[in-house]
Amino acid sequence: MSPDGNLEILMAAYQSGDFGAATVLIERLSPQLHRFFAGQFASRKDADDLLQETWLLIHKVRHTYRAGEPVMPWFYGIARHVRVNHYRKASRVALHEEQVETPSELPAPALETPGTTTEMAELLAPLPESQREVILLLKVAGMSLEEVARATSSTVGSVKQKAHRGYERLRERLAALGLSQGRRGGLS
Amino acid sequence: MKEREIDEVLARAAKGAPAVSPALLESIADSIKPSMRPVRPMPPAWLLTAGLILIAAAVALAGAARAGFYGIERLTALERILIFPALVLLLWASAAEFVASKGPGSRRRIHPGVLLAISCLALMGVFAGVFRDYHTTHFVSAGIACLVAGLVHAIPVALLSWLLLRRGFAVNPVAAGAVAGTLAGLAGVAMLELHCPNFQMLHVLVWHTAVVPVAGAAGALLAWALQLRARFSER
Repeated sequence: MSPDGNLEILMAAYQSGDFGAATVLIERLSPQLHRFFAGQFASRKDADDLLQETWLLIHKVRHTYRAGEPVMPWFYGIARHVRVNHYRKASRVALHEEQVETPSELPAPALETPGTTTEMAELLAPLPESQREVILLLKVAGMSLEEVARATSSTVGSVKQKAHRGYERLRERLAALGLSQGRRGGLS
Repeated sequence: MKEREIDEVLARAAKGAPAVSPALLESIADSIKPSMRPVRPMPPAWLLTAGLILIAAAVALAGAARAGFYGIERLTALERILIFPALVLLLWASAAEFVASKGPGSRRRIHPGVLLAISCLALMGVFAGVFRDYHTTHFVSAGIACLVAGLVHAIPVALLSWLLLRRGFAVNPVAAGAVAGTLAGLAGVAMLELHCPNFQMLHVLVWHTAVVPVAGAAGALLAWALQLRARFSER
């Protein structure tokens, strides 16, 4: 049985009130959801908070999953919603705090705590948010183009385009860092 | 640098990500445990789509029955064949998209803005092809009356549709609002085509079609306002 098939069975059990199934889902999916958040400038603490918030929302809307539909886009669709809301809230707070101090300047939203971003976040830093997200879902979460399109509420064509542009930028970034294949283990 | 090599760099970076602490996983499991009970999954998407089309058709027919079927009575068979199947097709596309917008991870066939634009252009194309009376008698007064009538019939469609999909969850409420508005606006246009006996091309082209973008924009605006209110109440 495919991993997604297993997840479907677990989701069905979760919907019918099986706490054991919920626990297995939390244990299996949390690491990749955490990586998804950490790869997008979230500090360790923020990624933990986002993960917790995501599971609370997943629990609240678990009835919206339909049997037979792919499971991963459903989870990532909710995780993405939580991340976008968190980003907006953090931007508003940052804007408000900055306005109190220097009313004439509009700051860029600052979500990260210095020194706490992951290697993945540093690698993807020059990419626009939409491209970063698509690359994380395709290459880190291991989802298909169709699944990423579902998770991001867009079309396969749009996902392909973002992934292509993201790879172009990554290629430039890695070339600038002088990173060649297999010779170095990290970015620094 | 080849794509495979970039993949390897990404895979290495992913491996370096910090692990989730078992205490956090335990705390998540504990937080959902007290509210753990069986839930009824959402009905299949096709069923909800059919329900939305039925709502739109019922409101349009009821509205026209109350005001009179003067429009459809004056239309020739060919004109009816051109107008109403086009409306049903657009209603189906909007209903399917609205259902998708209320389920996380659903397949999206079309962007809400594109759906709105296609709906307006398709209707304008059909109306321009069907109606040949180029007079513009009482253009504004008659037009506003039709726009208002269309919007008045769009409101119950929007409310009933929202009620039907109330258990859904929109990851992008503004987009869902725009699609719901488009659907409701198309139902308003359907009512006008059944009722309005004014076949002046510009009247139909401008004022009947205008129901769709106005309803779509109103839906998006309303969803945005509700989202804003929810955010303020969170504080």
